[in-house]
Amino acid sequence: MPDLATTFEQNATDAGATVWRCERTPLAVRSCVERAAEGLKGIVLSEAEFLAPQILGGVRGLAGVILKPDDEQLATAGVGVTEAFAGIAVTGSVCIAMGRPLAAATSLLMPLNVVLLPGERIVERPRDLFHPGCLKGEGLKRNLVFVTGPSATADMGPLVRGVHGPHRLLILLLE
Amino acid sequence: VSAISDSPAKTPALETPRAVANKSDKSRLLRAIRMSLAIESPAVRRNTQAFNTGRYAATALLPDYDALKDQARAIKDKSIAALPELIQTLKNSVRSRGGHVFVSTTAEDACRYILDVCRWRAAKLVIKGKTITSEEIRLNHVLQNDGIEVVESDLAEFILQVADEQPSHFIGPALHYSRERITALFKRKFKTDQPLDTGEALTQFAREKLRDKFLYADIGITGANLIAADTGTLMLVESEGNIRMASYLPPVHIAIAGVEKIIPTRAEMAPFVELLAASATGQSLAAYTSFLSPPLTDPIFLLPGKPAKAREFHLVLIDNGRMRMREDAVLRETLNCIRCGACLNSCANFQTVGGHAFGGESYSGGIGGAWEAGTGKLENARFSELCTGCTRCVNQCPVRIDIPWLNANLAERLNQQAAPTPLSHALGSVTSAADEDRTAPAGKIFFGNYHYFAKWGARMASLAHAIGGTKLAELASLSDGAGRARPLRAAMERWVGLDRRRNLPVFPKQTLVQAAQKLAAGVAKPKAPKAVLFADVFTNYGLAQRGVVTIELLRALGVDIVVSESVPEGRAALSQGMITTAKGHAKRAAIELDRYVSEGRDIVVVEPSSLAMFRRDMQHLFESKERFERFRSRAFDPVEYVIKVLEKTSRKPTDIFDAARSPVGPKIFFHAHCQQKTIGAAAPTEKLLREVGFDVLTSNVECCGMAGSFGYKADYYDLSMAVGADLFTQITQQERSGGKRALIASGTSCTEQLHAGFDRAVMHPIELLAAILKK
Repeated sequence: MPDLATTFEQNATDAGATVWRCERTPLAVRSCVERAAEGLKGIVLSEAEFLAPQILGGVRGLAGVILKPDDEQLATAGVGVTEAFAGIAVTGSVCIAMGRPLAAATSLLMPLNVVLLPGERIVERPRDLFHPGCLKGEGLKRNLVFVTGPSATADMGPLVRGVHGPHRLLILLLE
Repeated sequence: VSAISDSPAKTPALETPRAVANKSDKSRLLRAIRMSLAIESPAVRRNTQAFNTGRYAATALLPDYDALKDQARAIKDKSIAALPELIQTLKNSVRSRGGHVFVSTTAEDACRYILDVCRWRAAKLVIKGKTITSEEIRLNHVLQNDGIEVVESDLAEFILQVADEQPSHFIGPALHYSRERITALFKRKFKTDQPLDTGEALTQFAREKLRDKFLYADIGITGANLIAADTGTLMLVESEGNIRMASYLPPVHIAIAGVEKIIPTRAEMAPFVELLAASATGQSLAAYTSFLSPPLTDPIFLLPGKPAKAREFHLVLIDNGRMRMREDAVLRETLNCIRCGACLNSCANFQTVGGHAFGGESYSGGIGGAWEAGTGKLENARFSELCTGCTRCVNQCPVRIDIPWLNANLAERLNQQAAPTPLSHALGSVTSAADEDRTAPAGKIFFGNYHYFAKWGARMASLAHAIGGTKLAELASLSDGAGRARPLRAAMERWVGLDRRRNLPVFPKQTLVQAAQKLAAGVAKPKAPKAVLFADVFTNYGLAQRGVVTIELLRALGVDIVVSESVPEGRAALSQGMITTAKGHAKRAAIELDRYVSEGRDIVVVEPSSLAMFRRDMQHLFESKERFERFRSRAFDPVEYVIKVLEKTSRKPTDIFDAARSPVGPKIFFHAHCQQKTIGAAAPTEKLLREVGFDVLTSNVECCGMAGSFGYKADYYDLSMAVGADLFTQITQQERSGGKRALIASGTSCTEQLHAGFDRAVMHPIELLAAILKK
């Protein structure tokens, strides 16, 4: 029986996302984001809530990071970095909690969305997040988006990944 | 359509989809079918069948699929019962968060309110996510007539807006478009030289057209898949990100939803989250499933030149007939629908023509007729005639709506609204159809009382057999449609709509009941299993030999079996929407079988559509559940019964049967009847045939296209054959690679369809088993 993280990794990959396992250190996270953002212009970070502040602290120092973006910069930046509220193993989804500064924008507007998912916040099934006992019942209180792979469409014939939302979804699974 | 079509259609386009959207008269329905077959069918088939295959795979991964469906259904039932209270709770929830709620009685009210919001906010540009309810209320026209630019942002809706067409599917509104047709459309409408010859290029092109519209829109309009009354939470499911943008980027968000979308609590969204995507697109989850309780608290997105405004949320709840549907015992069922489209994708007719033929102004497919009737006029549901009652959608619906029963009721209402003709009156009289059903078109009364005509046909054929042999019997049976019977067949086509191109079964020299009387009585042991073979009309007056073989085989296995009188059980009448007549027929069958059941006999039924009446449909026709259960629990397909007897007597199939004795060889193709699959009687047959040594191949088609009387009807012959083409192609491909196979089918009409495709003998599985019985 694979553990939740392994199941999550497999299903997220099947859904079109890329999953990198990453040590939960500022240096490792910074290194991953730097590698992912190579060649892309403008990195925007959302505020963290569940991760220690220093984890994202390393990323702030990267070249190309826009610390206080205006809306025009948000509309044109290449990379959004978002913290996940939870992950769902059987669907390979990450759940983004709206409301925190820049969470909606970084998970929606940029061609590449890098999502930081703490491994211990992976639940088994979508329904778990509707249970009052799961993650302190926060899943029932917040504005949430379950993100399963990059935006996609089959309306133009074959399946195309990358429509209005991010074209690529990179999940940093923090161990 | 012809101007933008680059499909390899051989016939010219006859209509535009808009011209045939309103199908209140039947000629438009028939024109729409021709149009769809000529232009849209290849793309519709490819896309719906992909959804269908995906749904089977995705739902198989749900560990408690049936329990989830039960949960979802229970929540919906509870919600519809408490709808007035839930609306009030929801109003309070949204208002307590600073949002606005408007409950509109009519479509016009809803449009007026939304227009007022647009005017109040001086909106010039509205961006929309996919919302079929906005199609229902014709919102775009109202806003555009006021000078507001309305942009559809879902790519399918964008295509339709460019093409000026109505949606053809709940979740894939433009799935009738092939990539090639979209390329041609965009090149023509946007006058571009870009090649746009891939899905990626088309997507990029549309994305660029829409990006600024999102950023500069004054108002975003979305629908909602569900709404929780306790928190005002909207559940929004999508794949492209356009709904997220429409609900987040503009300062004003308007959500439009029918009142039936309300459920009591956010926690109760849980079963729907897992059911919806699996049932709709065959995904575990769509790319984005949002749970938003607007107005959002995120800051307004402001680009240079865009005026600063406060975030605002309006929830527009649409009644537009729904509260009336709630009071209607039949249409109330429709309010359970979560618009996943599973019933569309699992429907063989829909897979072939799509929603521009099998659909109306807004809604399409099996469930679409009830939506059109409930939110508009009954006449708008005429396209629901394309529901053949094959029941393949029944087990696919995540909220367990019995869509064929809904459509039988719509057909009944349409029948009762029709002006009676002298012919329909005369046919109703001679067949003793119920008074309530005598206004139905003559063709329906003819097909719905097939037992009457079959009985007389069999008597004449028997006489003809005696006088002049097979040729005269063929003539008497009118089965020789291409030859001497041609004038009579032409007359039947004209008066009752029986297509002259269809072969009719030759009535047998002896009916099943007559033949059974001449069989040697079996010698059963005292504790032998006891059964009655119900002499269904289709076997008794058609393929009687199948019944005879069933008796012989079961007697050889030690069963004490007798045969009943042949009476209609209601299938034919029900299929024509003659529900009162069907109730009468079902009652007759029950009375006929009562004494056998009281003797402790099981009921064996050869024709699967008749068996399905006992196992499923009679739940709607009998006065009590107990009465239905009395027959349901004892009714078996012949092969199911063979398995039951073998299990009861602890014998292995291979002790009794040996495929090496097969007169048709070991390689067979088994086509299961649609209703046989739904009631779970097909899989055991397939399993047994494999166990006894046959090399069995099957197809993945949902229905052969014949669907009882449907394929015999002149109006639908072409559609029926087009549906059948999928089955024919799969058989041909399998035979091309692996050699010829014997054709095996359980259904009478499936047998006829296979004859039409291959002109070869078709055996019933019980005939095959009888042939390989070890002596």
